[in-house]
Amino acid sequence: MINGEELIKQLEEKANVVRRNVFTIFEGTQNVHAQGHVGGTMSLIELITALYFHHMKVNPNDPDWPERDRLVLSKAHCCEAIYAALVEIGWYPKETLDTYYRFGSPFQGHADRWCTPGLEFSGGSLGQGLSYAAGLALAEKMKTGVLGEGPTDYAKKYMAQMIVKYNPTYRVYCILGDGECHEGQVWEAAMFATRYKLDNLVTIIDYNKYCIMGSSNDVMPIEPFVDKWKSFGFWVTEIDGHNLRQVVDTLSLTNNLYGDGKPKCIIAHTVKGHGISKWEDIHVHFSRGEVISEGLKEGRVKYG
Amino acid sequence: MGDFSKYVSIGDPVDSRTGLDKGVIAVAEKNDRVVLVTADLGAQGLGWFLKNAPERIVECGIAEANAAVVAAGLAAEGFIPVLSGFVMSTIARAHNQIRQSILVDRFNVKIIAREGAWSEMGISHNYVEGISATRGMPNLVIMTPADVTEAEKLVAAALEYVGPVFVRTESGQSPPPLRIFTDEYPFSIGKAVTVKEGRDVTIITMGYMLTEAIRSVEILEKEGIDVRIINMSTIKPLDEEAIIRAAEETGAIVTAENGVIIGSLGEGVAGVLAENIPTPMVMVGVDDEFSQSGRITKERDELKDHFKLGAADLASAVRKCIGKKAKK
Repeated sequence: MINGEELIKQLEEKANVVRRNVFTIFEGTQNVHAQGHVGGTMSLIELITALYFHHMKVNPNDPDWPERDRLVLSKAHCCEAIYAALVEIGWYPKETLDTYYRFGSPFQGHADRWCTPGLEFSGGSLGQGLSYAAGLALAEKMKTGVLGEGPTDYAKKYMAQMIVKYNPTYRVYCILGDGECHEGQVWEAAMFATRYKLDNLVTIIDYNKYCIMGSSNDVMPIEPFVDKWKSFGFWVTEIDGHNLRQVVDTLSLTNNLYGDGKPKCIIAHTVKGHGISKWEDIHVHFSRGEVISEGLKEGRVKYG
Repeated sequence: MGDFSKYVSIGDPVDSRTGLDKGVIAVAEKNDRVVLVTADLGAQGLGWFLKNAPERIVECGIAEANAAVVAAGLAAEGFIPVLSGFVMSTIARAHNQIRQSILVDRFNVKIIAREGAWSEMGISHNYVEGISATRGMPNLVIMTPADVTEAEKLVAAALEYVGPVFVRTESGQSPPPLRIFTDEYPFSIGKAVTVKEGRDVTIITMGYMLTEAIRSVEILEKEGIDVRIINMSTIKPLDEEAIIRAAEETGAIVTAENGVIIGSLGEGVAGVLAENIPTPMVMVGVDDEFSQSGRITKERDELKDHFKLGAADLASAVRKCIGKKAKK
């Protein structure tokens, strides 16, 4: 146990806030239908919560703070989870949740960084996020090495104490879907991350086991998944992605491993549609109509 | 011969790639943020980078999709990545990556990619549809240089411009263009240049085809045809004002490009004319067809002959266009 019990309790409460924001987005009061990529969003809640509300450096007053940690959501169809967090951080008023899917809204159907400050990556076309995250991670190293923009004062202090060899100005986190790993580009990026020793890059797989046409391993086997990432040169571990204790402790651990020259991969076992029985049962992907409204009713009873 | 611009001084053919190198180096020397992103292919200015700044070369291996998006990530952090290679791989293979990860966010990535209507390389590398495939992409500036001097100025301007640019260059095996512009030639993105004044008809060229247009002047002058030549080095956005003025003043337009006409310079100019000032027009270029291998010697260029892209072909296009104008 790296982190205290109190923290886990706080984060569990925060996860419920994020969930409620996600429900508001799905309910889409300004839209014709309740709709959304509910399955892959619900499987992300704890991961997003731990990253934004504990682990990552975030400045509530400045989404573009240069030293912020970067979160690249490669499975960007589940941007609802990010929007929920951006509102909770305070970068957007709560009413923005209702504008999801609407023309001119910062909360677009798929992530559009250009119109959504605080969002790190314009995704939606799968398989590209890890390449982008690798670019950000390499840039962090190049800024230090090439441009002579040294680490922060904070890092320098700790360098002197030899606690860590050198603290990066920022770290990069990339969340991939398991189905997304069918994309060849993911593995191009994996080779690249190892080639450039991007130990400031942490890849997290939301392994919710399902893509649109069924089990992601039936559609196109991705197992042996751990071995794949290991053979590509990553430090790999597996966790229960809904267990906040495991999530935050593992993220803390990756911080301590900084300097080993290896990109990290956390395979988070999750459940598609997590927390809502109807959605879990059918491994829901995108939904509108009865399936979503019944699930939302259940969610509101359970999470408020 | 002819009423050429004061910025034109015709010299012997010279490979324009040395100009591309110089343009990249000129900016890279001043700005540490210029980095090369390569996919196991040479790049413009590579020699300089290897010697002076090897840490600013990002090699991606034969993985162009990854290379395009890594470039986007670097640009997001303030670098100016120069993404180099063939149109075939750098652009066509990574089309969606360029759209989704570079253009949506208007990232400051410079794509310098070569293609050729003709070379000995064959159908895969003789990409003829690069401009056509990218011209519909929002937020992208597309340019192509006509000679070695313009190559240098154009690439330097592309690197200094803030936003995504595609610089389309000729294949290394294409016939070299004439040396055309003087060092004083003022290059400006989005601005077409009148290379030669003329009253009867205007040839609007892009890239290498300016060389063939200049060679056609001699043929046409003998027939008493006074041709105007405009070099349209920015294909997107097109210099509409220059096109309309040429139509008003010469009443006939010929376009010349060494790539497919569909969606490229020919159709672009036709669109401007149709909307503003319908004008007799003939389009010279590759007509909905892939290329193939072809031998290029001093005496004969098999593909130029096949596609009818030589000076004599341009001259006959000009005659045809003047015929249309007379009937109007």
